[in-house]
Formats: sequence, C-alpha cells, structure tokens
Amino acid sequence: MSTAKLEKLKSADYKAPGGKLVRIRLKEDQGQIRSVKITGDFFLIPEESLGKLEKMLEDVPLREPELRLLVDRFFRGTGAQGLGVSSDDFVKAILSAKETV
Amino acid sequence: MNMAVEEAIPRVVGEGKSPSTVRFWHNSNTIVIGCFQSARLEVNMEACKETETEIVRRFTGGGAVYHDSGNLNYAISLRKGHPLVPGLNLQSVFEKLSEGSVQGLRKLGVKAQFQPVNDIQVDGKKVSGAAGSIRWNTIFHHGCILVGSDLSILGKVLNVPRAKLEDRHVASVQKRVTTVRDELGRDVSTREVRDAIVSGIESCYGVRVKSGDLTKEELGLAEELYQTKYSRLEWNLEP
Repeated sequence: MSTAKLEKLKSADYKAPGGKLVRIRLKEDQGQIRSVKITGDFFLIPEESLGKLEKMLEDVPLREPELRLLVDRFFRGTGAQGLGVSSDDFVKAILSAKETV
Repeated sequence: MNMAVEEAIPRVVGEGKSPSTVRFWHNSNTIVIGCFQSARLEVNMEACKETETEIVRRFTGGGAVYHDSGNLNYAISLRKGHPLVPGLNLQSVFEKLSEGSVQGLRKLGVKAQFQPVNDIQVDGKKVSGAAGSIRWNTIFHHGCILVGSDLSILGKVLNVPRAKLEDRHVASVQKRVTTVRDELGRDVSTREVRDAIVSGIESCYGVRVKSGDLTKEELGLAEELYQTKYSRLEWNLEP
C-alpha cells in the first residue's frame, strides 16, 4: 500500500516595516510546518541563531498564536537581536506564505 | 581571499592581538551576498556567467552588493568595550561607525546622510550600504561606497524582488542608487575617496589613522579561512 505525501510547498517574500525582506520557503503537512528556510537581507545577531529558529519552527502548527509564542520564546531564550526585522515580522512572513505551484 | 581577510582582522582584533583597524579594499566584478541570503533567489546566475561576475557570501547580514573596481570597501574593527561604541545595539553601531564615511563624503562635496537601517544616501538615493556584527569580542562594521561603479551590470546580476522596490516607487535597482562620480559630476578615484574617508574618520572620532600591512597572524588566519570556508561552494552558494 502506498501513501501520497500531502506536503505543501509555500513561499513568501515579506517586506518588514523596518525595510528588510524576509523570504520564507516552507513545507507544510496537515497544518504543521515540516521544515522552513528563512532567508533575507535582515540583520540578526548572533548570526548562528537563525538556524536555531528554523529548527524550533519544525512541527509547529501554522497558526498565529503558536507561532508568536515560539518566535517570542526564541528571542527571549537566545537573546538574539534583530535589526530591520522583529519577532512580529517573522510571524507575519510565515503566515503570509502561499502555496507555490 | 578578500572575504577571508575581512573575517580574519576582526577575529584577531577581538583577541587583542591587533589594534583597532580600518581596512580599505577593492574587489573586481563580484556579487557579495549577505550571510542570510539565498544565492539562488538573489542572484541572476546566467547574467553572472555572461558578465564573468563572481559570487561570494560574507559573514554579516544585510543585502547583496555588487563590487567592481569603481567601488571602495571599508571595514572597521574595534575590540568590544571600545569607548566609541559603548552600547551593543546594532543600529547605534551602524550609525556611529558610518559617521566617519558620511563626514568624509561631505568633505568631498557629496551631500551624504546616514539613513537607517544601514545606508548612506544622497537625496534618497543610496551611495553606500553597510553591514556589521558583534562577535568574536569585536564590534565590526563594513561598507561599500559606490565611487564610479558600473550600475548597468548591477541591474543585470541582482534579482531584486518586487516587494523590495515597491514602496520606493522605482522599477529597478539602478534608480535607487547613485555614485560619488555622478553626485560630483566629475571623475573621482577610489584613492581620493579613501583619503577623504580617512580624514572623516580622524576628525569624527578624534583618532589618528596610521597605515600598515596585514600582520602575520591576520594573514595566516585569512589563508586558513579561505581554504576552509570562503573558497567553498557550500559556503558561497548554498542554499
């Protein structure tokens, strides 16, 4: 018996009010983020923390309350400092991701 | 190798083995992408091939820049705790460490102004972009000044997404930028701009800039970084 993968590929190019672009490429499966790649021209220190955020987002429901909680926890826990982007921008960028053909 | 040197200097400054340093350098026909950018999304690979433009990734965030012999790059490395930048807020670091370049450009007659987050502009057009980081016990700030760059190639090799341009009401990246040459209406060498920036740094920060060469330590580390990181496709082009 074979099962078809129901993963959806979604993407967004979100311009933060701070002026920087947050580009999202994610795989969604049954309403959850399976994997996400965040790129863009923003600043984030320490730079290594972006990979931690991507890892933390795996298996998180693609819903605003859960995303906000997770991203806030990321910033509080790592002490990361964004410039041109905020916690809110990462959440909005992810939520704005639409299915790619 | 330039990117490797760019990383080696702040690392050695942070260890206390080199003094506060400002570096000036050139690249030839290179796109330098920020550490968080996707080469595949940001760069027109075909156009790079046609124009023989190299693609490298730097260790700081921010956007993609095009380097040619008409650009002047500068990099400032200060040990953490330096009185010039007492706080560790990245925006204030960018603003403070751009001041020297702003003053230098003004001395040349360019009506330069710092524009948050990380630009130096003239009447709303970008003449210099900067990036930076706070790591390795160092405050690091670097920027690229468009002296006499070939803006037509810039437009070809960068894929600038619509979202980036729309609020500026411009249709292309070329219309968002200017050069020192265009602002002054005359030919100007990168050497002349470099000397002006040095003068700006000295008067702005109350320091004396003394020229020197890379130390053995800096060169050795740069060589190692080149071999292990900056010469590698995994670093420069993926993902």
